[in-house]
Amino acid sequence: MSGPSAGPPQAGPHPLGGSADVLVGRGAVTVLEAQGLAKHYTVSTGFLKPKGLARALDGVSFTLDAGRTLAVVGESGCGKSTLARQLTMIETLTSGALLLADSAGVLADVTHADAARKKELRQQVQMVFQNPFASLNPRKKVGHALEEPLVINTPLGAPQRAERARSMMAQVGLRPEHYQRYPHMFSGGQRQRIAIARALMLQPKIVVLDEPVSALDVSIQAQVLNLLMDLQEQTRVAYLFISHNLAVVELIADEVLVMYLGKVVERAPKKTLFAMPRHPYTQALLASTPRIDAGARRQRQVLSGELPSPLAPPPGCAFHKRCPHAIERCKREVPLLENAESGAHWVACHRWREIG
Amino acid sequence: MALLEVRDLGVEFGAFRAVDNVSLHVDAGEVLGIVGESGSGKSVTALALMGLIDEPGRVHAERLAFDGRDLLAMSLKERRSLLGNDIAMIFQDPMASLNPCFTVEFQLVETLRLHEGGSRKALRARALELLKQVEIPDAEARLSAYPHQLSGGMSQRVMVAMAIACNPRLLIADEPTTALDVTIQAQMLALLLKLQRERGMALMLITHDLGVVAEVAQRVLVMYAGQVVETARVPDIFEAPRHPYTEALLSALPEHNIGQRRLRSMAGMVPGAFDRPSGCLLSPRCPYVQPRCRAERPTLDGDVGAQARCFYPLTRRGSA
Repeated sequence: MSGPSAGPPQAGPHPLGGSADVLVGRGAVTVLEAQGLAKHYTVSTGFLKPKGLARALDGVSFTLDAGRTLAVVGESGCGKSTLARQLTMIETLTSGALLLADSAGVLADVTHADAARKKELRQQVQMVFQNPFASLNPRKKVGHALEEPLVINTPLGAPQRAERARSMMAQVGLRPEHYQRYPHMFSGGQRQRIAIARALMLQPKIVVLDEPVSALDVSIQAQVLNLLMDLQEQTRVAYLFISHNLAVVELIADEVLVMYLGKVVERAPKKTLFAMPRHPYTQALLASTPRIDAGARRQRQVLSGELPSPLAPPPGCAFHKRCPHAIERCKREVPLLENAESGAHWVACHRWREIG
Repeated sequence: MALLEVRDLGVEFGAFRAVDNVSLHVDAGEVLGIVGESGSGKSVTALALMGLIDEPGRVHAERLAFDGRDLLAMSLKERRSLLGNDIAMIFQDPMASLNPCFTVEFQLVETLRLHEGGSRKALRARALELLKQVEIPDAEARLSAYPHQLSGGMSQRVMVAMAIACNPRLLIADEPTTALDVTIQAQMLALLLKLQRERGMALMLITHDLGVVAEVAQRVLVMYAGQVVETARVPDIFEAPRHPYTEALLSALPEHNIGQRRLRSMAGMVPGAFDRPSGCLLSPRCPYVQPRCRAERPTLDGDVGAQARCFYPLTRRGSA
């Protein structure tokens, strides 16, 4: 893999360390703060029928620090990708507030920003999608795809843009001759490298990775995960890592957010969560993951049923219909996130004390 | 005697050998896992067994026998009645495998009518019974549902119901849980194992997930670039892999790298149609490569049940 030696000539101690002075060496620097993010979609339920309301994202809060990785896990339909679309400002929030660090490292409220400010803030959050076969334009050469963010967002001239694209390619482990090639000439793993390179072109503070390795084979997955970890170490970029693969999460994350039907049900540092999951849903997720080592296997606890429809979520705790520990109270009262023993561990369950 | 016996199966698409001299056997009532990365030929092997390879693909085999009956010598009609009846298959993407234009009942009854026949009422009753066997809640109502009204897990259950409709003795499941969430995957695996045990059915489980194999299979076959590179019993292969590729696959798993700074990964990728090395197919990527590996193709050697296609199989300590 490439080292930082292949930097661009113009400035900075490091090709990506745009505002390294702000980021490095000051302990935790918050780059993203989400306060009660909510996104509701109105859904047509049929001709002449009343519109339904899907609460795809319902009050999600967290903070993300520079150089850290927050993993978001949950089943399909739990709101992971909706969350990604809110953070990258592809959609506008129904309610809640999103604060992003601007180029100077100062947190700014996105929700009330004007268009120019939004454009500036958008540069700080970039995204890598799940399927590298769909996320790259088949008619654009790799070099073109990498330079496009610069064309739109910077006043750089063509030679400088090419210079930046080439140094970025070296950094993600692509060869210089790939600059002139089209995406169809690459394998899945290499395409994902291109997608990662494109996301990093503007030196963002945050990269949202939506299932970045789930379309890849095991051996290629390892290469891409290593690359992501290398890049984070070099640039202190923060990752929001969306995944359903708990083994990958256990490796790469610093903190984990478990979502169920648009809500956070548990949030904890990685080690705590894997050692002592508190929410019955987290416990079930961990138990459902197939393990190779017999010792690592948890007691098989097959969850019955499927994720309920977000159009008609069950009253009370959304999980109660599948929960092995559900009691009357769970059917009536929505549990709130509360702090479990150690400071950073949060869980939304009425009975976490008893079932731990 | 083995239920299914395959010797030197090959599938070619033009000049590309998708499956290269694969030999395998499945015993009655056993769960055989086939693992490999994309392009390793595991799905094509299954399709070839089911007679589903179309032109321009060409299938040839030294021997292909089911329960002692030679599939190659059989007439097309005989073979068709065997496939789907005694050997059934379920596919990876349940949403794409069901016909969106017809109800669940229509599609289930169609299968039953073709293979068993009977009155309309009897067929409907049998379809309902099958849906109950695959644990579909509210089975009665689901009979009249269209595929788009079902979730991924439910669709896969319908596919399983269809596959077991004729009491097959061998079920080939090609990545049956890959498109599903982990909690639904766990339900699906539990269901497949339950059916397999109840019916004494053999199960050939094709997957890329080594964790699934570890939990479900008794024996495993590892494929790389169209070849079988290792066969072994299940706990053994994870404790002491003999082929360098198997070892690399295992050590690239995130769960084997917790607490490490980086994952151990194997450089390079699977050879394509035009860059197949002349020696061992793994030789360009193998960390233990020797001059002989680049010159000659190794054969699958070793005792039955623990074979490796390697000149220098790994010993327990992990070096050649």
